[in-house]
Amino acid sequence: MQLTYLEAIRQGIWEEMDRDPSVFCLGEDIGIYGGAFKVTDGFIDRFGPERVIDTPIAESAIVGAAFGASLTGMRPVAEFQFMDFIGCAFNQISNMVAKTHYLWGAPAPLVLRGPSGGYVHGGPFHSQNPEMWFVHNPGLKVICPATPYDAKGLIKAAIRDNNPCIFFEHKYLYRRIKGEVPAEDYVVPIGKANLVREGSDVSIITYAAMVHTALEAAEVLKNDGIDLEILDLRTVSPLDREAIAQTVKKTNKVIILHEHSRTGGLAGEIAAIINEEAFDDLDGPIVRIAGLDSAVPFSPPQEEHYLPKVEDVVREARKLKAY
Amino acid sequence: MERLHLSQSPTLAIPLAIALSARFHMGNKQAKSKHNSNGSRRRDGSARSNAQPSATESLRTYSIPDLRQEHPDLSVRQTIEKGKDGVEHVRYEVTGNLNAPVPPISDSKYLTKQQCIEIYRYMLLNRKMETALENLYKQGKVVGGVYFGLGQEACSCASAYALDKDDWFAPMIRNQGSLLVRGFRASDTMMQYMAKADSPTRGRDGTSHFGDIEKRNMVSPISMLGDLIPVLSGVALGARLQGRNVAVMTYIGDGGQSTGVTYEGINFAAVQNLGLVLFVESNLWAYSTPSEMQYRCKDLAERAIGYGIPGVIIDGTDACQVYDAARDAVERAHRGEGPTMIEAKMMRMKGHAIHDAAAYVPKPMFDFWKKRDPIARFENYLVKEKKWLTTKENAELISEVEQVIEAEREIAVNSPMPTPESAEGGVFCEDGCHDIKPKYGMPKVKKRSGGFKETEAAVHLK
Ligand SMILES: Cc1ncc(C[n+]2csc(CCOP(=O)(O)OP(=O)(O)O)c2C)c(N)n1
Ligand SMILES: [Mg+2]
Repeated sequence: MQLTYLEAIRQGIWEEMDRDPSVFCLGEDIGIYGGAFKVTDGFIDRFGPERVIDTPIAESAIVGAAFGASLTGMRPVAEFQFMDFIGCAFNQISNMVAKTHYLWGAPAPLVLRGPSGGYVHGGPFHSQNPEMWFVHNPGLKVICPATPYDAKGLIKAAIRDNNPCIFFEHKYLYRRIKGEVPAEDYVVPIGKANLVREGSDVSIITYAAMVHTALEAAEVLKNDGIDLEILDLRTVSPLDREAIAQTVKKTNKVIILHEHSRTGGLAGEIAAIINEEAFDDLDGPIVRIAGLDSAVPFSPPQEEHYLPKVEDVVREARKLKAY
Repeated sequence: MERLHLSQSPTLAIPLAIALSARFHMGNKQAKSKHNSNGSRRRDGSARSNAQPSATESLRTYSIPDLRQEHPDLSVRQTIEKGKDGVEHVRYEVTGNLNAPVPPISDSKYLTKQQCIEIYRYMLLNRKMETALENLYKQGKVVGGVYFGLGQEACSCASAYALDKDDWFAPMIRNQGSLLVRGFRASDTMMQYMAKADSPTRGRDGTSHFGDIEKRNMVSPISMLGDLIPVLSGVALGARLQGRNVAVMTYIGDGGQSTGVTYEGINFAAVQNLGLVLFVESNLWAYSTPSEMQYRCKDLAERAIGYGIPGVIIDGTDACQVYDAARDAVERAHRGEGPTMIEAKMMRMKGHAIHDAAAYVPKPMFDFWKKRDPIARFENYLVKEKKWLTTKENAELISEVEQVIEAEREIAVNSPMPTPESAEGGVFCEDGCHDIKPKYGMPKVKKRSGGFKETEAAVHLK
């Protein structure tokens, strides 16, 4: 069936709640209101206020309580109204949740999820992509789906996973992207990338909304006779090193594309992996396309300038092809 | 702006035992002391050295004064009801006396006729600016959403009106009226919403997210609720280190106060005796969540007891009550007596933002609070009760305000959008972009007799 990205996530959580009584949701305005983006619309009527908990505005408490409940064998799914607010719970996530299994052997099977990303003129506090804050935190799985199929399969995988998973939903994709989602139960494995387009000339390694940017660029570049290969990472921690190496070995030219700021961004890490796994296969410099090193500005012309665009991918791919 | 000066102790009150001793202090040196550094101090935050606690002080007789003339008993809870579709739905339901009579406006202890009219004018500006924004939104000229302070204009305007020029403040998203009082133009806020090149942030942020550390002493808010509170406390700290006690006013919602940083910020101000004036805007809803699901104490002002600071409850739809409580707190801050928490009770009369129809709010609540509209009541007070404005003068005032807003709207609409390249730069203060120096004068530092330590003390980790 055809579902939007948002519907796919909603269905994934719904099915897991139906299937497993230990799954419950907590967050701000997720009950009667159904969440700021309506991901949990209808949940409270189905599962009741006991399992769909409207919390006070207290992100640290939400994460701490989710972790506490997970210690008793529950599988909490905590919503951030915007992922920008995840910083308010940073210590609970970084020092409490991420370190628990390594230090004292207690698993934390919880999911922290919410909308992230730009392209909707949300301004500096409603557009961020803070995944790198957590990629640099050993002990957390960081998931960033790009399609309805992956979104559903990955949210289910995250809920079933015995480790803390942070699930970044791209708000630009919520209602803009539709795709085929099977009716039967399935999961998408965490930590496995997906080759969304096979090509021979230049590889684009990317994820989330940028997958669609890359796909659009591929259509443009087709007319120039440039054949893009596009690798959707789907999970940014742990990274699929093998898939990264494989695509580099195939095309020998690689562009890493991400929405968050360039400095200290994921591209640096991927470049290092390529250096370790496929250095000899490179036929050109590793190219980065990323957001600017500033806050995400609000005004549309500025935001557009800040964020990666199809033209950026087209331009860089042409340059790299000619290298 | 003309100010009345208080010669007596603050009537704002405070835990009873503390109130007694505070008055005692006012009579002596403490009242005159210019600023209060962090020294040994008693539990009420006032600085007093080694006196014996009196018998009354050991009694726990805290109270929170409530200046309201009515005490609405409405409460909201979740219920399950069967809809027409036969499906069970969880809904909010309100109980309480929904027909209670509307209280009168309280006479201010301080405000003159002229000042009342000035506050009223700001409230009109506030509302009409927001109506203009709503229209701009409908015309597709606004980027993102619009936030309203409908029903809260008295709280925004009369609070900011109580500040002196050198005081500081930081608005929350609904305090667009405070900005007008502090001298920002309606076009500033309008341009923010339209993401224009001439907006105070030159397009980089929207809404009331802007600031001015030069002239108007306003700290720019961020979206994360509660984060302004320690910052404003820090402003008071910085000023005090420079020998000045400034009042630092900010706001927090009944929802936002649930954040941990709220606790940290108030407690910091309490312990350091900083002149924080915190308006807790109890408007019954936080997005879709009723305040009943946000906290369990009866009134948020009770929290003041736990912080060891004065707390007071006021009717946030009564401009005179707002002003008086704010002014008392501001003067307390100027005297170096520390923070005050003011809980203003009112209702958010629209959805969270323009996209939100607030379908979750039981309709009778809107009806109840609509009768308590701060502008309609203040207008009635000024025109009918006090006869400080004739009907004609009132009509003239309203049309003058409309003209101002229309002119401001023109300015805002005609401002260009920023260029794409203007997204770049300005991340760091460099190349002499600011000349940073103590705003109130170089701190006068005392060097004591302690010498530089040559030996190493035991440390936690080596
Ligand atoms: C730390 C944090 N969490 C969540 C949000 C999202 N959010 C914005 S406003 C709001 C409700 C605020 O309610 P309240 O503090 O009562 O203020 P009101 O809107 O009623 O004026 C929420 C949940 C936020 N801004 N900051
Ligand atoms: Mg509120």
